[in-house]
Order: sequence, then C-alpha cells, then structure tokens
Amino acid sequence: MLFFAVNVSAQKISSADLQVTGLTCSMCSNATQKSLETLNFISTIKPDLNKNIFVLTFKQDANVNLDLVRKKVQDAGFSVGGLTASFNFNDVKIDDKGQAIIDGNVYRFVNAKSKTLNGTVKASIVDKDFISGSAFKKQATNANSDAYASGTGVVNGKKTRIYHLILS
Amino acid sequence: MALMVIGAYTNGFTQELYVFTEPASNMPTKSIGVRLTNEGMFNNPGFVSRTIPEVMIGFNKNLMMHLQGFMSDMDGKYRLEGGSLYVKYRFLSLDEAQSHFRAAAFGRVSTSKRPTYTRDINLEGDNSGLQGGLVFTQLLHKLALSSTLGYAHAFENSERQITGMPQPKNMLAYSLSSGYLVLPVVYKDYKQPNFNVYLELLGKTDPGSGQSYLDIAPAIQVILNSTTRIDFGYRFQAAGNMDNRYTKNMYLLRAEFNFFNVLK
Repeated sequence: MLFFAVNVSAQKISSADLQVTGLTCSMCSNATQKSLETLNFISTIKPDLNKNIFVLTFKQDANVNLDLVRKKVQDAGFSVGGLTASFNFNDVKIDDKGQAIIDGNVYRFVNAKSKTLNGTVKASIVDKDFISGSAFKKQATNANSDAYASGTGVVNGKKTRIYHLILS
Repeated sequence: MALMVIGAYTNGFTQELYVFTEPASNMPTKSIGVRLTNEGMFNNPGFVSRTIPEVMIGFNKNLMMHLQGFMSDMDGKYRLEGGSLYVKYRFLSLDEAQSHFRAAAFGRVSTSKRPTYTRDINLEGDNSGLQGGLVFTQLLHKLALSSTLGYAHAFENSERQITGMPQPKNMLAYSLSSGYLVLPVVYKDYKQPNFNVYLELLGKTDPGSGQSYLDIAPAIQVILNSTTRIDFGYRFQAAGNMDNRYTKNMYLLRAEFNFFNVLK
C-alpha cells in the first residue's frame, strides 16, 4: 500500500489559498462556495468570511485544474484576487528559461531558473484573472515570457496552457 | 445621504443588494432565485396593495432574467393584472482588491390590464410597455454606489383608456443607491444573519409634460443562512409635481430565496 502511494505521483497540488474579490456579504461567499463545490477534484473548502479567502484542499491523485477554479469564481459573479498553491515537487527541474513541465502541465517561474525543486513549495499564479487587472498589467510590462499575455504558448510543437508562477 | 456615506466609511462593509433597484452585478450562474414582494400604497383614496411573485434565473456570469407576475386590488377585487420580463447583461467588470466597477444594460417588457390614472409609468404592475437602461455600480474601499438610468415607453392603451385621464407615453428614470452592512462585525459562519441598511434616491421625469418627482427610499434587510433575504423599505416623496402616482408613499416587503447551482 505504501509502495503504491509513493509511486502515484499525479498529485502535484495539494492545497490552495484562494482570494476572491468583489464579495460583499456571506450570501456572495456562499454562492462562490457552492460554485466551487461542483468541482470534483476539490476535497474540502474552508472559507474565511472576513478575509474572503477560501482554503481549498484537493483530492489525492486528482487532476487539479486551476483554470476551472478561476472559472467557478467568475461564474458566481466574482473575481480571483490571488491564488497561492502548495505544490508537491519531486526533483522538478526548472530550466534556464524558468520553465518546468510536470506531468504534462507547463509552468513558467517568474522568479526562478536553473533550479531543482523538492518537497512542498508554495507558489502564486500570476496569470490573467488570477490577480487583479492592474496587477496583471504591471506584471505584463516586466514579464520575460512570450506566453504571459495569452497564458498559452507553443511547447514541443503544440499549443499549450502555460501557468506563470512566483515562488513564495 | 451624508450620514449613509459616513456610516459606510466608518463601519467597514459595503452592500449592494439594493431593495428598490438592481445592482450591475449579477446573480450566480445556474442559480435560481424566488421572490415574493408585497407593496402597499396609502394614497389612492384608501389603502391598496400589490403582490409580485418573481422568479430569477442566472444563465451565466453576465446574463440574468426576472419573470414577474402582478396581482392587486387596485381596480376593485384582487386579480392578476399582468406580468413582466426583465433581462440584465453585465458588460463590464473591473475588479480590484479594494474596489470594483461594474456596468450592465437591462431591458424590460411588461403588460398590465390596468387603465391609466397618472402620467407616471410603472412597468411593475401599472402599465404595459418597454424599458431599457444602464446600471453602474462602483465599490470604492468601503463605499458602494449604484446608479441606474432608464427610459420607458408605455404602449397605447386605447380600449382601456378612461376619458379625461392622462395617457402616459415616455418616462426617464434615474436612481442613486447606497448600502452598507451593519452586522455582523466579524463573520463566524454562513448561518450567521447579516443585517444591511440602504438609502436610495428614486427619480422620474416625464419628458412630455416636464413633470418630475424624487423619492427617498430607506430600507432594511436581513440575510438568513446566506440564502434567504428579507427586505423592508418605504419610499417617501421628497419633491415632485406628478399627480396621482401610485408608488408615492409606498411600503415594500419582500422575501427572497436563493438556490445556488441548481440548473444543469
């Protein structure tokens, strides 16, 4: 059993702190919570109603889709103000351009390159609609990734979603 | 108004679930809301009241709809007098950490069996017609202000027209709304009731006759279980020269029930 658990490496994101903007009452928070609950890869949602932060934990071995998390917040009528995720990295190599490919997901690190990551690492998504509009514009002026504006780029000859991260 | 602004600023939280108007923000996607509203008017020689059952549907994050039915005893016995379809489309959302600005366009088509007794156009029961308009809601730190601008056109009503009574044609409507959260000061969970207070200014001008009015409409609101909303408001006429209006000095009592994510 232990052997099996060690070998399953699909789960790369274990939890996330999701900051939601535009919430003005507990009914808004409740609508956001109910919207997030429809995602089958989320295990638990713990709201901080005073700070408008939802602490999400993800199911083991589930394929976590952060774009769907963003979409569910927007569906409820609000916006993501920030998302900081806990990644479980096992000998993940960031290349000299700041890019790492983990189980087919492509990540570009804004503040790291030529580095190997191990263990639990916290990183914030800085893509469009994961941070405020003004923060995105500011970030875009000094982004060194050609994929930053659209969030997609060509990787190994295929158009691919590229998440941009800042290591905490 | 000044009190409201100061209150909103010092007390901490802003609120935009307005009682007499709609904010530019929409209801959640795939959700249904059910409302039951009772309005009572004291100025039609005697007291009359109207009951409005209403269903609201959020199709996606930008598009929502309200369907309303109108029943009243304003022409004698209590009867079904008409209905209305209201559609709102949010076309702008600029969300920042401490502020947001949202804009929406809305349209309404209404029918009513009532004859007309006033130049005022009220597409929630009294007149058949069309309305279009814009809503802008600005949240800046702890102050939320919402403004609505609308233009209504009443359909001709010749078979029910009473001789000597005015025939309303067009109406410009405008409003300014503000609201804030009084309780809770600190949130514990979704079960905790929220208590909100509002102050709205509701105005109309008939471009044909030049007659206008401006109402001041305070309201209180309780939100239970983060799903159910109870509103109570009253509109007082502050200024105006439009005769025989129905919505002058009117109370509004409403219960709203929300069902999140029930549509597939």
